[in-house]
Amino acid sequence: MHIPDGFLSPQITLPAYAVSAPLWAWAARRHFGHAAVESLPVVGSLTAVAFVIQTIMIPVPGGTSTHLLGVTLLALLYHPLVAFLCESLVLLVQALFFGAGGITVLGVNALAMGLLGPLAGWLAWRALRRLHEGAAAFAAAYVAMQVSTLVVVAALALQHALSERYFPVPVAVVLPAMMLPSLTAAGLAEGAYTVLALSLLRKANLRGVAMG
Amino acid sequence: MASRWADPRRSRALVGGWLVAAFAISAATDLRVLGAAAAAALLVFRSGLARNLRRVARSVLPVTVGLSGVSWLFLIAVERRPPPLAPYVALVLRSAVIAFLGFAVLDRASLLRALAPWPTPTRLLVITLGQIHALRLLATDSLQGLRSRLVRKPGAADVLRGAGGITAAMLTLSTRNSRDVVDAMRSRGF
Repeated sequence: MHIPDGFLSPQITLPAYAVSAPLWAWAARRHFGHAAVESLPVVGSLTAVAFVIQTIMIPVPGGTSTHLLGVTLLALLYHPLVAFLCESLVLLVQALFFGAGGITVLGVNALAMGLLGPLAGWLAWRALRRLHEGAAAFAAAYVAMQVSTLVVVAALALQHALSERYFPVPVAVVLPAMMLPSLTAAGLAEGAYTVLALSLLRKANLRGVAMG
Repeated sequence: MASRWADPRRSRALVGGWLVAAFAISAATDLRVLGAAAAAALLVFRSGLARNLRRVARSVLPVTVGLSGVSWLFLIAVERRPPPLAPYVALVLRSAVIAFLGFAVLDRASLLRALAPWPTPTRLLVITLGQIHALRLLATDSLQGLRSRLVRKPGAADVLRGAGGITAAMLTLSTRNSRDVVDAMRSRGF
C-alpha cells in the first residue's frame, strides 16, 4: 500500500510533511510525556511491535499473500495518535533500511496509513462497540484499511490531476489496482487478526500494559 | 568504503545531500534531467553498484514497471492509440534513481554517527532497532513452531491465529523490555 518515492511531486509531499510534523510533535507530547527517558522506550517498543506485525505474511487464495498492518490494533488499544506516531516510525525504518515506501513520501504515507485510516477505524469502533465488540473490532480494522487505501488512491489521483506528465497512471487504473486487493483480502485479514488479537489480549488482561 | 565516511560530519553531509537530492529528483519530469541524475548517481556510487541495482530491481521496479505497464495497456484499450511513452519511462527512472541513491548512501553513511548531534532521535532509533531485532526473533520462532506443528502448509486462518498469539506475547515482552530500558537509562544518568 505504500506509495514509493518518485510517484508524488514536492507539490504534495512537502505540504504533507508540513501537516504531519506538528501532529507528530503533538502526539509525542500528549501521549508519551515530556521526559525522553520514559517516553522513548515505550515509543520504540510499540513501534517495534507494529513493525514485526507487518512482517507477518498471510497467504491468500490465488497463490499470493498480503501482510498485516496492526496499526488499527494500536489505535484501539491506546489512541489513534499513538498509532500515528508508531506507524510513522515504522514507515521511516522501512524507508531507511528496507527500501519500502520512501523518504520523500513519508508524510503522505504516514497520514494515510498511520492517521486517517486508524482514526476512521477508531471512530467506527466507538460507534459500534456497544452492539457487538468483536464485530466492532472487525469493522474498525476493515474500515481503517479501506480508508487508508482510499487516501493513497486520492493522493495519486491528485498527482495525476496536477500533472499527467509527472504521474501518467489514471485513476481508472489506480483505483481497482489498489482497492480490489484491499476490499477482498487485506481488509478481511486485518479484521480477523484484530478480532483475534483483541480477544487474546482481553483473555490475558493485557490491555494498557504496554503503556506501563 | 565505510571508513571513508566514518567521520560524523561526512556522514551528516552525505545524508543531508541525499535528502536534498531525493526531493530534487522527485520534482523532475524531464528525461534528460533524470538520465543525467541516473548517470551521476551510478558514477559517484559505482562501488557496490551491482548489489544496489539488484536491490532496486527487487524493491522498486516490480511496482513501477507493473503499474506503468497496466496503465499503458489500459490506455491503449480505451483510447485505441498508444499514450506517450516518456512520462512512463520518467516515472520508472525517477523511482529507481531515488531508491538507488537511498541504498547507496545508507550503505556508506552511518545514520547513528550522522544523528550524533541530536541524541533523542539517536536513542529512539537505537531502542527501536534493538526492539525490532528482539521481537522479530520471537515472531520467527513462533511462526516456525506453528509450521512444525502442522503436517500441511499453514493456511490464512492458521497464520492469523498465530499472529494474534504472537501479538499478545510481543506486547508483554515489549512492555517488560521498555521498563528495563528506562531503568538502564536512568541508572546511566539520562
